[in-house]
Amino acid sequence: MAAQPEPDAGQEAAFAVATPAAARRERILLVVAAVALVLLVVVPLTSTDQAQSAGLPLLVDRYWFRVATIVAMFVVISAAWNLIGGLAGYPAFGNVVYFGIGAYAVALLVTRYHWSFAAALAGSVVAPAAFAGLIGVPLLRLRGHYFAVASLGVAVAVGEVINNLDYFGGASGIFMPIVRSDLLFYYLMLGAALLAVAITWVVLRTRFGYGLIAIREDESAAAVMGVNTTVYKIAAYALSAALTGLAGGIYAQWNVFVNQDVAFNIDVSIDSILMALIGGIGTIWGPVLGAVVLEFLIQTFSGRGDLAVVTQIGLGLLLTVAVIFLPRGVVDFLGGRSSLTLAYVRRTLRSSGV
Amino acid sequence: MNWGEQVVLGLLLGGVYVAVGLGFSLVWGVLNIVNLAYGAMVMIGGYVTWLLFTHTGIDPFLGIPVNVVVLFAIGYALQYVVVNRVVRAPFLYTFLITFGLDLVIVNALLLIFKPDFRSVTTWYSGAALSVGPILVPYIRLWSLLVAWALAAVMWWILNRTRTGDAIQAVGSDRDAAQLVGVSLSRTYALTFGLGAACAGVAGALIATYQAITPTAGEPYTLQAFVVVILGGLGRVSATVVGGMLFGLVQVLAQSAPHLGAGYQNAIAFGVLVLVLLLRPQGLLGRAV
Amino acid sequence: MSEPGEVLLSLREVTRRFGGVAALDGVSFDVGRNEILGVIGPNGAGKTTLLNCVSGVHRLDGGDILLDGRSLRGLPPHRVARLGVGRTFQIVKPFGSMTVRENAAVGALFGSSEARLPTRRAFAHADEVLALVGLAPKRMLPVASLTVPDRKRLEVARALCTKPRLLLLDEVMAGLNAVEVDEALEMVRAVHASGVTIVLIEHVMRVILGVCQRVVVLHLGRHLAEGRPADVLRDSRVVEAYLGEKYASRYAGG
Repeated sequence: MAAQPEPDAGQEAAFAVATPAAARRERILLVVAAVALVLLVVVPLTSTDQAQSAGLPLLVDRYWFRVATIVAMFVVISAAWNLIGGLAGYPAFGNVVYFGIGAYAVALLVTRYHWSFAAALAGSVVAPAAFAGLIGVPLLRLRGHYFAVASLGVAVAVGEVINNLDYFGGASGIFMPIVRSDLLFYYLMLGAALLAVAITWVVLRTRFGYGLIAIREDESAAAVMGVNTTVYKIAAYALSAALTGLAGGIYAQWNVFVNQDVAFNIDVSIDSILMALIGGIGTIWGPVLGAVVLEFLIQTFSGRGDLAVVTQIGLGLLLTVAVIFLPRGVVDFLGGRSSLTLAYVRRTLRSSGV
Repeated sequence: MNWGEQVVLGLLLGGVYVAVGLGFSLVWGVLNIVNLAYGAMVMIGGYVTWLLFTHTGIDPFLGIPVNVVVLFAIGYALQYVVVNRVVRAPFLYTFLITFGLDLVIVNALLLIFKPDFRSVTTWYSGAALSVGPILVPYIRLWSLLVAWALAAVMWWILNRTRTGDAIQAVGSDRDAAQLVGVSLSRTYALTFGLGAACAGVAGALIATYQAITPTAGEPYTLQAFVVVILGGLGRVSATVVGGMLFGLVQVLAQSAPHLGAGYQNAIAFGVLVLVLLLRPQGLLGRAV
Repeated sequence: MSEPGEVLLSLREVTRRFGGVAALDGVSFDVGRNEILGVIGPNGAGKTTLLNCVSGVHRLDGGDILLDGRSLRGLPPHRVARLGVGRTFQIVKPFGSMTVRENAAVGALFGSSEARLPTRRAFAHADEVLALVGLAPKRMLPVASLTVPDRKRLEVARALCTKPRLLLLDEVMAGLNAVEVDEALEMVRAVHASGVTIVLIEHVMRVILGVCQRVVVLHLGRHLAEGRPADVLRDSRVVEAYLGEKYASRYAGG
């Protein structure tokens, strides 16, 4: 680490970056992100009828919309997980349960109670948050393995219960009225993804974020410093549940069909954690990067039969390799804090290995 | 079904859970690794038994030594090469790595064996012993006996051999163990291998009464976790108690009105929550 | 020292058990406002347990602890911090992924009711406190790059940022060489001068003699002696308590 130049005492802002080089890199990244965002919002409009009749080239097709929407969805889920798993240090393995609750909330509210989709989306945010607030009280008293597996157990158990009860359509699930619009769901998911990233950004700038990180680094020290650890953990958990539920709610209408396999798929949880890991746990852009990279990989290689199986093997190997060699994720390199050299890898292995 | 039958069946099922729990408990207690690939390893055991049976006709129980050797080798290699790289990292990483292994194993099995269900049907598969009004299937009875024998063997290894001393030393004080010359990487690999061997035995037992398919191992990971929490981490006797009790609970709970076989995970989770709330150290475990 | 307005912290028959063993057994003493009180005793005397009880990390099994007349019994650690009690840990617990400045700022963001500043002001306050303890030049560094004495300073700075009325220091001098101890003593005096009441646990007698106005001696969980440092250290019961330990380890073949 190069020696830091002595900054003016008390003058620099609270979140001053360590070096001018890193600040420059951050600015470049922000510009890139802004440009990408504009493109993501504007380019798909070329597929509308108006644009087509005006003679604009068709830059995106149905396949592109599908992949982009799923990528956006995973940005939401991964960023949401990042709040409880990355910032607070409580890696929940069953967050997909909130995806499922959100999805079923929308499905039930629309089909059985005839709410509008928009109103039902509010339910897909509130219901998971309420459930998380409730179950978080006993759950977040657990630490380490106990918490991780217990949270996994919640997902498995809730999925099972829903699968068995007729109120939820049982094993045959619930069919929703068909709404055909690639553009609508794309923008909805994109909006949710932006919301998730924005929330992460805000959290990291405020007392809430510092409290969560303090809890992650040393919970007992955080407590004696004055952090109300119980409330903060539950709040982070409920927030991550709300965002995940929103993704589930949008997905339910987009997919038109929900059942246990669709809505409570543990792979979703694991994939989202892997994305945060590859991108960089606890960072703002980590989940975004990870979601984009991983989901594109998955979508490219997914297929029927043997190809699907081989893809899963590849995913498992990727997970293993990432955990061993890149536990801090890729964002570390982009931020300039380290570079992917042999020395870096060796240091990582030495500190984690036997 | 009357109560007596259910209790007996529960206890018999408990035998399988004892076998399932032993390997899981060992690896968790000594290495502090919750092995999410455990269920997949159990399935490997099942497939070993099936292969032996269909290609050479060897009886599933008699073929158990093969399961032990194969799974031990696999477990040893996996720990030595892969898992040893992250044992000192925060637990999230060992968790994720074992999940990665689970993905690889399950899908490798899918690639090799396809998702078809395979069963092992011996000439005595349907036969049962009559104990009064209760029919005790031979397979279940022998599974129970094998499980207890496995527990006894594990206890003997851990408490009466030098290898067991090394394992226990590493489990309680890693640095002190190193000071007296214990090789951490090899002892870790040995422990994981033993755990895998137990999974292999459990797989053999399961294959005798259940059709196996690559994804059928997943419930066993969660259930192994619950068995260990229920009984308590750290002692063979605790896992035996936890396993037997869990078998009982599963059978009795599933026969309750409105519940059924579809609720096995929910029941497992319910037990987990109850234990963690009321007695986190488990029935026989040391105080947390 | 017995007038109500002058007592900041009062321990009354404090008892804490682990299993069947009483780590603290009916300990009673007062800490005067703006005093520096030392707490000494051989290993296992219950000193850290005492701090844990005051800061709310351990629940009391008996007795009570009063801060300015208000009972702390049953309060969770963050509530105790809110009331103005700051503490350091014997084995320092920095927030590893944050910089020095951010660590200190956590104290100012949470902490006592007088702390809890909005983010910008919290960082400004952290800068002031870091200057007080001598860490200003290093405040943008990650904590991983700090030396042991600096980590102890950060530990104190962070606790100070919570704007405590009472500061509990747990063996801040452990592991420091003579020069570092002197520097740390200066820091403690500076902190005290800013109006904070200090209770400090120490093994280094030079510190006790150098900075404490009064000393309480604990032995096997019980209050053994109390008074001025020079007097207490000459007390035959205290000497025996410490020497007894030394003799015991000699007989054990040490």
